[in-house]
Amino acid sequence: MDLETVKERAGPREFSPKDEMPEEYRKAATRMIQFHANSEIMGAYLERPFIRQAPSLERKLAFSAKVQDELGHGQLLYRAAESLGIKTRDEMLDELANGQGKFLNCFHYPMESWVETPMIAFFVDGAAMRRQATLKSTSWEPYAHAMDKVCFEEGFHVKHGEAMLHELMTGSKKEQEMAQEAFEKWWPRIIQFFGPTDKQSTHHGFASEVGLKQKSNDELRRAFLNTYIPKAEKYGLEIPDTPTIEKNDDGTYNVAEDELNWDEFFQIAKNEYEPGLGQIDGRKKAQEAVAWVRESMDSHEQRLYGGGESPQAAD
Amino acid sequence: MIWEVFRQKKAGDYHTHCGNVHAPDREMALLFAEVQHARRMPTNSLWVVPKDEIGEVDTEDVAFGGTTDKSYRWAMTYNFEAAAEEVAASEDEQAEAEQQRRAVADGDD
Repeated sequence: MDLETVKERAGPREFSPKDEMPEEYRKAATRMIQFHANSEIMGAYLERPFIRQAPSLERKLAFSAKVQDELGHGQLLYRAAESLGIKTRDEMLDELANGQGKFLNCFHYPMESWVETPMIAFFVDGAAMRRQATLKSTSWEPYAHAMDKVCFEEGFHVKHGEAMLHELMTGSKKEQEMAQEAFEKWWPRIIQFFGPTDKQSTHHGFASEVGLKQKSNDELRRAFLNTYIPKAEKYGLEIPDTPTIEKNDDGTYNVAEDELNWDEFFQIAKNEYEPGLGQIDGRKKAQEAVAWVRESMDSHEQRLYGGGESPQAAD
Repeated sequence: MIWEVFRQKKAGDYHTHCGNVHAPDREMALLFAEVQHARRMPTNSLWVVPKDEIGEVDTEDVAFGGTTDKSYRWAMTYNFEAAAEEVAASEDEQAEAEQQRRAVADGDD
């Protein structure tokens, strides 16, 4: 299929592995889905320590279920990415370990305290869900199918995140202050979740033309703020002064994007941000620690089926 | 040889199992599947898979979803109005899945 035909046909779930897609499409889709898959994995590693630190049995159970879900989403997405024929799952996991794999800005920041968990579990997951809901209509069918299952599960994460935020904001004065402090720390990062404004976004044009991406960064950010600012206020969180946010007459919000720290954002985007490197190395060590599991599974497969190289059957 | 048949109604949908056919090879299995399973039902694509290649695990072997109370895994457990429409949509899907699970467990289905 040539690129012109791809752009003409670029509707929801339009292309599948049996279509001969141009390399430009397959590379763009791989970049996007691999980024998404990496983010699921890195998000899970960021939250994992809080299974142990959870303040109650209910939270511990819910948190471990959530972390398990996120790792599963990563696996689903690597399969969807692999189906484009550009990279295998192993290659993508290795890239993540050696610092080449890119992932969401928010998951480069360490999380130090339990009060920070709803910042991820409510706001970041809420932002992710906004975006993922639109990706059910992406043009790469395996990606859309992965989104069906991810969105099915994700409602629990966001609502559990809200339950944690509610608990803190109706708790002691100290808890409320700590939650507010965590919110101030995470708020600019959360706004940056959706990436630079459309004008500065390098990949949006093509991804949108071929139907991979359904909504622009700006549209998604606006939709997120319209829903989640009132939620934050409802729980008594004060929206920080920076970046300046203006409320329009129709109840929607405008953000002064240029007040955010984009140098840090782009440093993160290149995997050159110091705390983020710790996150990457932490996961790499975990991957190395279970190398024996992969090796024993590979050798078992080898014994049964011989040396046939087939990424489709690798898992 | 028996081949299991999976039909996709329209492009972008899932292939779902719809029956099986006897056929000596893949090509004829596809032909028979076409004739038996795709003449009147809306069909965009068919898959055929040798029956022996399919693995199965069922409720005789395992308890799907475990046997303990896992209500903490469901959006409905957290009693807040969904923050956004996509959260509400996810919760609806979960509520429906849980309702179907219960119906099957109670033998109503």
